[in-house]
Amino acid sequence: MVFKHGKIAGDPEPFKKLLKKFEEENPGIKVKDEILPASTDEQHQFYVINLEGKSPDFDVLSMDVIWVPEFARAGWLKDLSLILSKNEQKEFFLGPMLAVTFKDKIYAIPWYIDAGVLYYRKDLLQKYGFSPPKTWQELVDIAQYITSRESGLYGFIWQGKQYEGLVCNVLEYFWSNGGDVLRDEISVIKSPENVDALHFMRDLIVKYKITPPLVTTAIEEPTRHIFGNGKALFMRNWPYAWNIFEKESSAIKGKVGVFPLPSFPNKESASTLGGWQLGINRYSKHPDAAEKLIKFFTSPEAQKTLALTIGYKPTRKSLYKDKDLLMKQPFIIGLYDVFMKARPRPVSPYYIMITQVIQPEFSAAISGIKTPEEALNSAHKQIEHILRVER
Amino acid sequence: MRNGEGGNRFVIPALILLSFVTIYPIIYVFYLSIHRKLLIFDISRFVGFENYLFLLKDDRFWNALKNTAYFTGVSVSLELLFGLYIALLLNMSFRLKGLIRAIVLIPWAIPTVVSARMWEWIYNTDFGILNYIVGTKINWLGSPFWAMNAAVFMDVWKTTPFVAILLMAGLQVIPRELYQAARVDGAGNWATFRRITLPLLKPVILVVLIFRTLDAFRVFDAIYVLTGGGPANTTETLSIYAYKVLFQTLQFGYGSTLSVIVFLCIGCISIFYIRILSRGMNRRSRSK
Repeated sequence: MVFKHGKIAGDPEPFKKLLKKFEEENPGIKVKDEILPASTDEQHQFYVINLEGKSPDFDVLSMDVIWVPEFARAGWLKDLSLILSKNEQKEFFLGPMLAVTFKDKIYAIPWYIDAGVLYYRKDLLQKYGFSPPKTWQELVDIAQYITSRESGLYGFIWQGKQYEGLVCNVLEYFWSNGGDVLRDEISVIKSPENVDALHFMRDLIVKYKITPPLVTTAIEEPTRHIFGNGKALFMRNWPYAWNIFEKESSAIKGKVGVFPLPSFPNKESASTLGGWQLGINRYSKHPDAAEKLIKFFTSPEAQKTLALTIGYKPTRKSLYKDKDLLMKQPFIIGLYDVFMKARPRPVSPYYIMITQVIQPEFSAAISGIKTPEEALNSAHKQIEHILRVER
Repeated sequence: MRNGEGGNRFVIPALILLSFVTIYPIIYVFYLSIHRKLLIFDISRFVGFENYLFLLKDDRFWNALKNTAYFTGVSVSLELLFGLYIALLLNMSFRLKGLIRAIVLIPWAIPTVVSARMWEWIYNTDFGILNYIVGTKINWLGSPFWAMNAAVFMDVWKTTPFVAILLMAGLQVIPRELYQAARVDGAGNWATFRRITLPLLKPVILVVLIFRTLDAFRVFDAIYVLTGGGPANTTETLSIYAYKVLFQTLQFGYGSTLSVIVFLCIGCISIFYIRILSRGMNRRSRSK
């Protein structure tokens, strides 16, 4: 049996040990693990080409949150509703469960979870007597106050290059203002809430001047470097950066705090959901063994091991009360509230096509090439065209 | 054989092979382009010229075409200008000539993806060496104006050596006697360049132009790595657009339509150049 997945972050040894344990517990099943390129676009391309060709060469596959509806719609995934009972589903976070559900059936089991969070400089906020911001306006005020008193410090950095990460960033502003992209498979992208939210993002750069224009070309790593060198007060990023900031050699070790992202007044904060799910190839010749492997890797024990060793965040809520994890990985436990509120990107088989047309529009709006109204109107038209594709 | 027609028999195997690897794919791409074909949705049906009609209304296509034309026009002219200048310099005799010629070729020898990554760092706002040298804080790859010109500059840096070497080869076959005769007649440097060097170099210049225009028109890897088409598609070229439609969203029908258009553009450019080239050749052979 073959298990396909992306590169394991950090040390692959703990993962190999888990595989060995699975083989010992299930005599007669041999698992070959095969690693795909790190770029998620390439992984997507690999799966699409092979599944379209009905390839039985792999049995278990790991999928990004945004792929499941697309693959399920194409009929490439085995229905897993039976191996995950209604009661067991409640043990998982809601966001990833929504992402793996397509037309009331479950096509994958959440393996580990990711979501956008706000990093802040604990030391600087303390120095000037601030607590972490709850609304976007508070964040602007704090950043303006502190950056005018500290030299060589950016206020707030995030990811604004034209790529998938930009969509993740923009959605967090939409949602935290009560907006969305799709509702009941109809585009609602040009709502006033979204226009305001996008205006605010542009204003961060040109009006409030707390965000440097360099974010319009930045992806995760450059922003992580800037923050890691102590040159920014706030940063939006994924939880992976935490372990790097806490290394001995880090310039800001012990000075970093993490908080849920702010929201607009009287609205709910929201993070974009990331993470990976395990599913079974419908053309697999060993579906029973594949089922066992998925159950094993999404079990509380395996998730706990991976959280302790390589910092993968568990998708099961109960693990966030676990004593060992609390002792050794208090940071992960602290993310519970963020994961509870994390939302999947539009759950639609058309998502891959939709993101292709909204990326350039968002990029145009934040770099000032189009006004937010123009960008969202144009995005709306293109999304409607995509949704009509099957008619 | 005697009447020269028997030669056809020897060409046939090559023609068959060529038609397998070039003509068949071209026809197949055209076939796909008149279908709506979406792998994921299992849709595949004949739609006639609907894709082409959509293309006429597709702002993103016109934007990509404009970007491609700008990139091709500017980068090829600059490369020709600088290439000619470097070729003239390298054609003079001086010490360490061989070494200098080899050094000049280095940018051309670096794989495109590697040099694009390198330039991405050079252009970096915060850590990039360009802003450090110039003493500015310009967001080269983030501003719509600079991003495209940054890509052009990278291409000029990379391919000027190639142009220079080709032109140098052309310069070396110009007989020295012509220059000597010109000097005897009292012609200055500019006159010699205009009346002797340029006309005799013309066929090589045309070949260089064909190579470079076609290459630049199909540009993909350099820009894809440098900017990914951003910001806001201001650097998206036709090839990048076609790639995104074909391989990221798997719309094989419309993606093929875009490919057909790229193919037609390239075809027109080639025909244009080949006509100029053959006209030049005919005139010269007639005057002999």
